[in-house]
Amino acid sequence: MSNKAKHAVRPKLEQEGFFGRFSYFSSRALANLRQNTFVSVVTVGTIALALLIASLFLLVYVNLDHMAQGWSDKVQVTVYFDKEPAPLAVTALKGRIMNIPGASKVVFVSQQEAEKRLRARLKGQESLLEGVTADVLPASMEISLDRSNRDTAQVASFVSALKKIDGIGEVQYGEEWVKRFNSFMNLFRLMGMLLGSFLAVTVLFIVSNTIKLTIYARKDELEVLGLVGATRFFIKAPFLIEGILQGALGAVLSVVALLVCYYTFLKNAGNFLGVNPASAGLSFLPPAHLAGILLGGVLLGFIGSATSLRRFVNV
Amino acid sequence: MIQLHNVSMSYQGDAPALNDITLKIPKGDFVFLTGQSGAGKSTLLKLIYAELSPTRGQVLIDGQNLTRLSRSQIPLLRRNIGVVFQDYKLLPNRTVLENVAITLEVLGWGKRDIGRKVFHMLKQLGIEDKVNATPLKLSGGQQQRVALARALVNDPKILIADEPTGNLDDENKEQILEIFKEANIRGTTVVVATHDRRVITNSHRRVIRLEKGRVIEDGGAAPEHAAIGEDGYEQ
Ligand SMILES: Nc1ncnc2c1ncn2[C@@H]1O[C@H](COP(=O)(O)OP(=O)(O)O)[C@@H](O)[C@H]1O
Ligand SMILES: [Mg+2]
Repeated sequence: MSNKAKHAVRPKLEQEGFFGRFSYFSSRALANLRQNTFVSVVTVGTIALALLIASLFLLVYVNLDHMAQGWSDKVQVTVYFDKEPAPLAVTALKGRIMNIPGASKVVFVSQQEAEKRLRARLKGQESLLEGVTADVLPASMEISLDRSNRDTAQVASFVSALKKIDGIGEVQYGEEWVKRFNSFMNLFRLMGMLLGSFLAVTVLFIVSNTIKLTIYARKDELEVLGLVGATRFFIKAPFLIEGILQGALGAVLSVVALLVCYYTFLKNAGNFLGVNPASAGLSFLPPAHLAGILLGGVLLGFIGSATSLRRFVNV
Repeated sequence: MIQLHNVSMSYQGDAPALNDITLKIPKGDFVFLTGQSGAGKSTLLKLIYAELSPTRGQVLIDGQNLTRLSRSQIPLLRRNIGVVFQDYKLLPNRTVLENVAITLEVLGWGKRDIGRKVFHMLKQLGIEDKVNATPLKLSGGQQQRVALARALVNDPKILIADEPTGNLDDENKEQILEIFKEANIRGTTVVVATHDRRVITNSHRRVIRLEKGRVIEDGGAAPEHAAIGEDGYEQ
């Protein structure tokens, strides 16, 4: 061996630039997943379970919300007339009512029609209708409102606009019912939000602690990398990619599990919830929500890893 | 060149582990750091690769003051210093190849170059057949060599080893020391902490003796001047 200082000629670096580095980091992340099977399974499993619980909650919430929205179809404004208006006047009135923002449908119920309905209702008890003729019953207009215009305040302002129209008689809209329904919806959403955020915090806590433990289990690796001269970014990048992959994998698994849960017992759970047995059952989450779950998984993995790494990388 | 100027170091609340140390290790030197357990050897080494910073005084490497180094500059310093840790610090779930490759991956070397260089290094240390084994399947002496390979694979300017012969048999000790000498011949400054008297007396190198955090003896002799020992053993 020669006595001269003979440091090796350094080969050209192949991993310069973002993409060269990125491919190195990704392959490192994949190798880590393979080499730390147990730890990876635990992390992915935790994320999947956490997201499954959250998405079950979401599924039930979305369905209940949808159902409650359906109830609000009962929010109807009815105009009663002292005297049955002429057909031409009816058409004109209909047009003017539809022009009020928020109106979605107007149905005219003539005195005749009203009587027919009453008879249908009292089928088998016709004796009660003895002496009742069509002119005893008032003609009316039944107005449905847009879904987005069923707030207590919105209904009230619709009614006041309605009253300004000439030829409109008495207006009834079940004020109390609207109020009660809307405060129920507000309470329902508030509960949903509270429960949801509580669940989200719990999930975040559990997942980030699991990741913290798994990263703690590999603190030697972080230490060695630091001691051989790796920069903070170099140490963290593969772990962050790993976290993202674990999060995405966990999310996919949770959606699969959700599908299984859905088809085995939730699909037909409508009867159990005691509403609308005709359309029996809950519907599955819409694609936007599924995308949200995937994003949630990725964020969980990424944020969980990033915060834990801050603890253990002290280069 | 490694310089310490009036360096003191205390762990939180404890009596100082190092007390007012001033010394200079020239480039290309080969130095043994010795003293009883607890004398401060490991602490001194950690100051050199900036795992610790001194409570008082300055540490300079090639003129660069480590106490003024920013966090992001520390990695660059460490790339020039190979360290063989007392507990090896090998990663148990990576192969020998992967363990040694870490040093070069950090520098951004390409995969093929890394493979070639690591294999060459392992061959020099006589463990090329273990390239795909995991560390826990190796003997102590073999693990020590892997740790050495990781420290030396990028031809560092400085090699630091903390009790490298601690639990090795005599034959292994000789071979490991031989590797240090070869690295030194190639121009690497070598600092070895050991309390093994035999290792020191057989080597005829500069010996810095610590006691309770102070230098109590510095048998300073640069390698050129210590070429022939008393027993005629040629270096
Ligand atoms: N991490 C630590 N925290 C507190 N005290 C420490 C730590 N490491 C070493 N010491 C103390 O510092 C002194 C020097 O230790 P060390 O440098 O490890 O000595 P040596 O390597 O010569 O055996 C000892 O008294 C030891 O107890
Ligand atoms: Mg020690």
